Amino acid sequence: MIHTISVLVDNHFGVLARISGLFSARGYNIESLCVGVTEDPSISRMTVLVQGDDNVLQQIVNQLNKMVEVIQVLDLTQESFVERELVLIRADADAKRRTELLEIANIFRAKVIDMSMDSVIVEVTGSEDKIEAFIDMIRPFGIRELARSGRLAMARSKNGTEAGTGGRDAQ
Amino acid sequence: MATQAQAKEKPGKTHQLAGKLMQGADMILQVLADEGVDTIFGYSGGAILPTYDAIFKYNEARPKEEQIQLVVPANEQGAGFMAAGYSRASGKVGVCIVTSGPGATNSVTPVRDSMADSVPMVVITGQVARAAIGTDAFQEAPIFNIMSACAKHVFLVKDEDELEATIRSAFDIARSGRPGPVVIDIPKDVQQHVGTFKGEGLLEFRGFDQRKIARETRKLSKKNVKDFFRILGGSSRPLIYAGGGIINSNASEALREFSNTFGIPAVTTLMGIGSIDTTSRLSMHMLGMHGTAYANYAVEDCDFLIAIGSRFDDRVAGNVAEFAPNTKNIAHIDIDAAEINKVVGVTWSHNADAGRTLRELLEAGADFKKDFTHWVDHLQELKKRHCLNFNRESDLIQPQEVLEELNKITKGDAIISTGVGQHQMWAAQYIDFHRPRSFLTSGSMGTMGFGLPAAIGAQFAYPDKLVIDVDGDGSIRMNIGEMETVTTYGLPVKILLLNNLGDGMVRQWQTLMFDERYSGTDKSLHKKNFVKAAKADGYEFARRVTDRKDLKETLVEFTAFDGPAFLEVMVDPYALVMPMVGPGKGYKDMVVGDYMTHRGTPSTEPSGVQDPSAF
Repeated sequence: MIHTISVLVDNHFGVLARISGLFSARGYNIESLCVGVTEDPSISRMTVLVQGDDNVLQQIVNQLNKMVEVIQVLDLTQESFVERELVLIRADADAKRRTELLEIANIFRAKVIDMSMDSVIVEVTGSEDKIEAFIDMIRPFGIRELARSGRLAMARSKNGTEAGTGGRDAQ
Repeated sequence: MATQAQAKEKPGKTHQLAGKLMQGADMILQVLADEGVDTIFGYSGGAILPTYDAIFKYNEARPKEEQIQLVVPANEQGAGFMAAGYSRASGKVGVCIVTSGPGATNSVTPVRDSMADSVPMVVITGQVARAAIGTDAFQEAPIFNIMSACAKHVFLVKDEDELEATIRSAFDIARSGRPGPVVIDIPKDVQQHVGTFKGEGLLEFRGFDQRKIARETRKLSKKNVKDFFRILGGSSRPLIYAGGGIINSNASEALREFSNTFGIPAVTTLMGIGSIDTTSRLSMHMLGMHGTAYANYAVEDCDFLIAIGSRFDDRVAGNVAEFAPNTKNIAHIDIDAAEINKVVGVTWSHNADAGRTLRELLEAGADFKKDFTHWVDHLQELKKRHCLNFNRESDLIQPQEVLEELNKITKGDAIISTGVGQHQMWAAQYIDFHRPRSFLTSGSMGTMGFGLPAAIGAQFAYPDKLVIDVDGDGSIRMNIGEMETVTTYGLPVKILLLNNLGDGMVRQWQTLMFDERYSGTDKSLHKKNFVKAAKADGYEFARRVTDRKDLKETLVEFTAFDGPAFLEVMVDPYALVMPMVGPGKGYKDMVVGDYMTHRGTPSTEPSGVQDPSAF
């Protein structure tokens, strides 16, 4: 099973190298890794997706907890959480098919952020299912380039009143 | 020798040098001195020159007894293992200072070795100046990246204002929790930068600091205590399985008291040797792949295994499914939460310092009474019946008999270091240890060449103790340059070389598992004359024993020699380390060889030991 782990770390030099090094040294496969600063610039959040059973996950969490710069490790998969990924796609779209593509983009709430005579760049954000569905829809047009951000995740508020809860993954 | 804890600055008291302008290199030396460092092992070079200059100046300004001794090896790997040997023997943080590039990469092996055996060390590596980092400069190597994968923690000091706190934090991290090596990579211009010395302060690590406090204050819950004594009360065959964690946490006394108070016998790992006096009645000695047969039988027969500071590694539990098959409960006490339930699922655990936990259990169990005499008697019988033995009829000197004779002289009081291989296992089996920190061996990494530099480090920690490096002809070659270091410093280190003309342990596996194809392990055609080499290095005592009749007397003279001594004993090249639990095998598949008795089938066993439920 794929687990989504959120790791808060001291925002120090080399911390990404050390954490990713731990995964490779112990033979854990990273499916996705995102890093960025949090509301406190001295702390970074790493969102790591890893494959493994419960024992492997427990080991990963324990091993991460031994690293000097790790502040907190959460296996979000154990609780209710939201997960988002951003994708940029440059697709073939000449004047003839452009409208069709824009319609699809509209349905997925994707944004067109660049356009030329024969191609467009669209930006789409969402859960993995939505992203995969969108890519499948765009593929017949011809995908020239694709860039994925990797997944970001955050636990839902415990009281369930978090904004946007009702629109979960539907958008 | 002042302990490091005593030498540490008292909080709240301003450092007498606070506010003084100093070069980075002088700050390094001052913090080392504040941390109680009395010996530095290392090798100079371009990028670390300012710090070596600071050592010179520091010592020049002080009387002999206040100086920090600098020990220079033949190779930086030697320096790392000397620092590790110093640390393992004394419990203090070993310090090693080397230059950038090759100096630092040569230190990778001792750093990894110390990580694997949880040995606290601080390794300072010079780095090219900040402006040159990443330009493929002369003697530049990406030490942060390389050491990240090997050390407990690595710092690259990019901000000169953090230098002082970084050194202090490195000691804190090396010592705290499960100890380990910390590497500080310091660019040359940071060493040369002049700034104001603060004399206090650590770097802030939110998570690390919180976890440290939690670990240090965590106590056994009432429920945990109740459960432990309920399990112990329901057990009739409890067994302690003590590892290196006991020694690291200085918990040997607590362990012995625990074992004696409740009457629970103990097996130890290779790293745990000395945690309990190997000659005591409740000691069942080493378990595992080359453990004693009786230790492994004890593990097979026990119904409650209490693991303390040990980690069920593959040399102990090569076959997890078959490990300790009659246990109904396993308890695990370890400072490292990641070790609990890592290999073997346990029914009771506590993540805290071993010594403190044992003391808490002793206190809580003051009224606990259960008689395990029957079980202990059973183990004494196993001990007698399945004692270690070897070929006593051979014309060739047996390696085991050399160590047996040595043991009659050292009587459990010497500090013994070893290389890696057969001689290491025989030393573990045949030499007694009354005290912890007296058997120094590369357990987890199994680094050949560990023994000689480790002995040097231990001798620096304890100049007056008898320190013997029991080595093999393969292992000693790995760091043979350090033979000269012994005589250079006039150390009374004793080197006992068991020469079996090859890499005995690998050869043993080739004998047993590779149809006697001795690929790359035969050294019978090697030309080295070790005795001449020792003489060339200035050993006044350098002898070889080839005849059994000279063995005892020469060993007596060797150990009594006042100064560096080298003794080579030519031993049977085909002697096997027994017993042996093959890789991936369970203890039931243990072989004992031709000179010990296997307990076999129940029908041939009058004591009925095959049926542990008889107790």
